[in-house]
Amino acid sequence: MTRYVSHALKLAPSRDEQASQDFVSSLRAHVLGPMATGLRASFDADVAPRLAAGATSRDVLKAMQPHPAFRFYTATRMKAQQLVWDSVRTTIERQRGELAARAAALSTDAGTTTDGEAGSLTLTPALPIPKNVAAIDVHLMPGSYSFDGGDGDIAAGSLYDNGLSVFSFGLMGETLDDIGRSIALWLSLRHPEFQPGHVLDLGCSVGHQTLPWKLTYPQAHVTGLDVAPACLRYAHARARSMGIAAHFLQANATSVPLADASQDLVFSSMLLHELPVKDIKALFREAHRLLRPGGLMLHYELPPNEALSAYDGFYLDWDSLYNAEPYYQGYRDLSPPTLAAEAGFAADRYFEAAVPSLGWHGEAAVRAAVTSQQAASSSKLGRLEDGVQWFIYGAWK
Amino acid sequence: MTGAPLPETARGSHPEVFEDPSTEVLLAMVLELAREQWITRIRLATLEHWAAHEVTAASVPWSEAYRLPPDAEQAAAAERDAFVARLLKPASTI
Repeated sequence: MTRYVSHALKLAPSRDEQASQDFVSSLRAHVLGPMATGLRASFDADVAPRLAAGATSRDVLKAMQPHPAFRFYTATRMKAQQLVWDSVRTTIERQRGELAARAAALSTDAGTTTDGEAGSLTLTPALPIPKNVAAIDVHLMPGSYSFDGGDGDIAAGSLYDNGLSVFSFGLMGETLDDIGRSIALWLSLRHPEFQPGHVLDLGCSVGHQTLPWKLTYPQAHVTGLDVAPACLRYAHARARSMGIAAHFLQANATSVPLADASQDLVFSSMLLHELPVKDIKALFREAHRLLRPGGLMLHYELPPNEALSAYDGFYLDWDSLYNAEPYYQGYRDLSPPTLAAEAGFAADRYFEAAVPSLGWHGEAAVRAAVTSQQAASSSKLGRLEDGVQWFIYGAWK
Repeated sequence: MTGAPLPETARGSHPEVFEDPSTEVLLAMVLELAREQWITRIRLATLEHWAAHEVTAASVPWSEAYRLPPDAEQAAAAERDAFVARLLKPASTI
């Protein structure tokens, strides 16, 4: 079911706008649920028997593209994606001035956090916005993350927060932070001795997965980094509205203006697949530079093609062709352990894991996953559907 | 300060899905109509609920802020999911 943004920057949609959002959430849930199941059945019945042994995800795509089930699945999903943004844009535009004023008040209110630390927002107006953000409307989001109406504007952040709420039909938690909450819990249980003092979240957008680190490690200085100013303004105000002290910094993750060996945990969530390969490699090198000895680089991402069946790889690659994610497929062809090794991490300090969604499976399942040796289900990794599991990998310095 | 309006549509080329592009156009039209139908359905359900509760109707003037109560919202959500499933069933079994 639809979850609505509920913090202090929430919108006040009209009844018609709310009904529109609900319809789009139901449409998305149907496409990614029953229609996806039907697509798989069509593959099994009509396409798989004709595929040669050893067929790859690209072979599956080529064979599926003419199938009527794939055509209708794709066209419906693309239209649903367009409707996601359309269903919240008008409400945001109507309330935009008021939202900006609310964010400004939150950002300057010194008494909003529970631990006495205020958090901060540091923007760098001269920072060049990289082409992979500025020139592409990723996820078909009009204006992309980097749209900025000028001083104080938070419209792009609001569009992403509210759009994601409609998009995820409840599977990302009440505050859209299930990924961060699940992974932070898993890490705290798997490595109770690890108590990071400085946490850096690269490509944080509006800070959904940044704040769980502060909740899990209250003593930590937590920083979210992104290139998009309106998202960062929104992130800062959102954190303040939730009473969580976090720092937000406008910078490029491939060239971070922080000192060598200044961080204990360098994290990213669904960032790497938005980057060209050269930037992914630069980011890994930056993570290694920024970490203290004993620190951890940790990424939540889509699983690599090498970890999936040809069909599951094809299914995830859909976004690359039809959802304005041009780097998605190329990222998934890379080998994470090789990337880590090339950046200077020792091979025996690399790990991968599947973390059950805290919201879907519950805390007991996350606890069980800490010690489980059971292989993750290929069809549940990284797919926003019932039973979702979050794929992570990392390396200790 | 509000700045330039948010763009209405995403930039970039639109990949062809059907051999005849008009099929996708028609599908998009059907989905837009379905969304409008659902909006109207909820507006009617809300008005019916308000009208059916005489005490409420007598004490609470009709307004845009009037909403269905949680149990009726839950029933509407189930109805909505069933509506979407019926709408797309032909495309799911093709």
